[in-house]
Amino acid sequence: MPENFGDDVFEVAQRIVAHSRYYAGRMGSFFFTRLRDEKKILGVRCDKCNRVLWPPRSTCGRCFSELSEENLVEIGPEGTLEAFTLVTYCEPIHPRQAPFVYGIIRLDRADTGIVHFIGGLDFEKAKIGMRVRPVFAETRRGNILDIDHFEPL
Amino acid sequence: MPSEERGRELISIPMTVEVPYRFAAGKYMTKFLMELRDNGKFYGIRCPVCKRVQMPPRIVCAVCHVQNTEWIELSHEGTLVGFTIMYLPLTDPTTGKPHEPPFSYGSVRLDGSDSVIDHMLNIEPDIDKIRVGMRMKAVLRPREQRVGDLSDIVYFDPISQ
Amino acid sequence: MKRNVAIIGGGQTYHAARRHDVNQIEMVNEAVRAALADARMTIDEIDTVLVGNMEFFEGTHMTDCWLVDGTGAYGKPGLKITTGGTVGATIVCAGAHHVASGLFDKVLCIGFEKQEEGDTGAILSAVAHPLYGRSMAGAAVGYFAMMGTSYMAAWGAREEHSAMVAVKARQNARKNKYAHLKLDITVEDVLNSRMLAYPIRMLDMCPASNGACAMILTDEKTAVDRCRKPIWIRAMDTAHNEQFELDWRDVTTRKPIFSKVSAGRLYKRLGVEQPSEYFDVFEIYEPATWAELVWYEDLGLCRPGEGFMLIEEHKTEMDGPIPVNPSGGVLSTNCIGASAMLRVWEAALQIRGDAGEHQVPRDVRRALATAYGGTNWTVLTALSSKKDD
Repeated sequence: MPENFGDDVFEVAQRIVAHSRYYAGRMGSFFFTRLRDEKKILGVRCDKCNRVLWPPRSTCGRCFSELSEENLVEIGPEGTLEAFTLVTYCEPIHPRQAPFVYGIIRLDRADTGIVHFIGGLDFEKAKIGMRVRPVFAETRRGNILDIDHFEPL
Repeated sequence: MPSEERGRELISIPMTVEVPYRFAAGKYMTKFLMELRDNGKFYGIRCPVCKRVQMPPRIVCAVCHVQNTEWIELSHEGTLVGFTIMYLPLTDPTTGKPHEPPFSYGSVRLDGSDSVIDHMLNIEPDIDKIRVGMRMKAVLRPREQRVGDLSDIVYFDPISQ
Repeated sequence: MKRNVAIIGGGQTYHAARRHDVNQIEMVNEAVRAALADARMTIDEIDTVLVGNMEFFEGTHMTDCWLVDGTGAYGKPGLKITTGGTVGATIVCAGAHHVASGLFDKVLCIGFEKQEEGDTGAILSAVAHPLYGRSMAGAAVGYFAMMGTSYMAAWGAREEHSAMVAVKARQNARKNKYAHLKLDITVEDVLNSRMLAYPIRMLDMCPASNGACAMILTDEKTAVDRCRKPIWIRAMDTAHNEQFELDWRDVTTRKPIFSKVSAGRLYKRLGVEQPSEYFDVFEIYEPATWAELVWYEDLGLCRPGEGFMLIEEHKTEMDGPIPVNPSGGVLSTNCIGASAMLRVWEAALQIRGDAGEHQVPRDVRRALATAYGGTNWTVLTALSSKKDD
């Protein structure tokens, strides 16, 4: 068997398909059920930090306070666009077909942003600081796409 | 399927992650897989220091940290070192094809090799019919069906004594 | 060790088949809060946070980042480690190195697995080499089944011996309030249960658990100032095996078996002559019943080939001369990312006298915890009630 390997190249194409099921947890369950059933968006208030966080969570990352149902507060529904981009390329993993706009929206009364699609606007007219409102999906299932997208006021 | 705790609905969200990959075999594995595919041969490689014959062949001996140099053609025959009878279905993750239980599965050390191969055994799934120490022989697919993969071996046949 | 390292606190979740009530962050947080409470420490005092689990088992990446709210790692240094089944102990090892180095005084170590959320079958198949192993990859149960047939052929053990190991684990777990599977079963029940992969039966198998474990490791000064009974990490040893070598299922192999090699190194370092006398309790990582019998031999608790006699003679029961897995072991609780850490934590609880109903009825000075992963990777942790004993 010679040491000379030549130019042979052997490659194999494979794929891994993994089916997951993510549990929203205590606070996440409140958030998604209120979103689905009442079209209300909840955040959670950390009294120690004096901040309202989205998404609602059981521990404040900064001060480690325990947060629970009584700390939930309604935020939005309107908000301010803090950043955005136009996606023009396609990847199988993308949830929407390009081109689409998505950005970070700071809902009224929240101190952190939410990433979501921005629709119903001409990309040239998008501006940081624009006011937007959620457009809810007709059929809601208890996930983040129960909000279909945000549109300019 | 709804979950709940104390009357409160617990939300879960299903998601499938599907990732395509492309793996390069590298020089030594390429030779191994191509010899299997094209010529139906098994090659191991021997370390010049510890003399261990490793299969699949690899560039460095993990024990001695020296380059493996001597290619050794191995027999298709070997000895069964361990086995099981699977009552659970086993799916080939590369094809999605299931092996229907019950079936015999085991680990064979080819003559001349220090390494073992795990594979299907062409023996009735009956523990009275399988024994550690049995002599086995690899059965390969015909050339036109071989792709350069362990599944180019169909199974191991028992060698009748 | 450059500096002495002590365990001053720990905690774990109530391990279960289903934890629909919590997300991964919340589950980890339960163990973290329990550990901080046990150590009487606040998260602000922790210098660094180390997190480990089975890679991608929950279908999420960068767990050190996305679990920050739950781990308390905000703004702190930290690492994520994934080393297969050994990861829980590898995290403890990393924690010990952090403290021993003198660079960190208080380290929070976390191991977890929320197994119901991911696709462990699909991801486990990704452990097999894509070009050489994946198409023929067997399940873990198949591999340990092969170890079982090899063991029976080599030493004359019988299926009953596997059942005896399972019964010990399940009965011990009934005394461990945190354990997942607690079953009041007999050897006959095991032998009548469904065969999964000959010779492993349903009641021989470990469960898939959701759970987390957290421990706090500190330097000597902190331990002495803050802890009534610190548990000292006297030595650790780690060994990984080669990729393609599957010999660890053949009990007659003459290849180095790293559980044995690692034990040899650790014993030499500590001057252990008779491990069954040196250590008062063993918490071993037994992914399958047959692996426990092989561990008895690899750890030198008996001669090669005699592991099955130890279980037959009840020597490794909680009240026996060589107690093994009073917690119920991995056979009772297997949240993989936490399992190896639970061995260390349970061993520590035994030394502290805090194992409650599953406390072994003897004076526990020293304990040995083992971890098992992949193709016989090993991590061993030797604990003691005294820093120099």
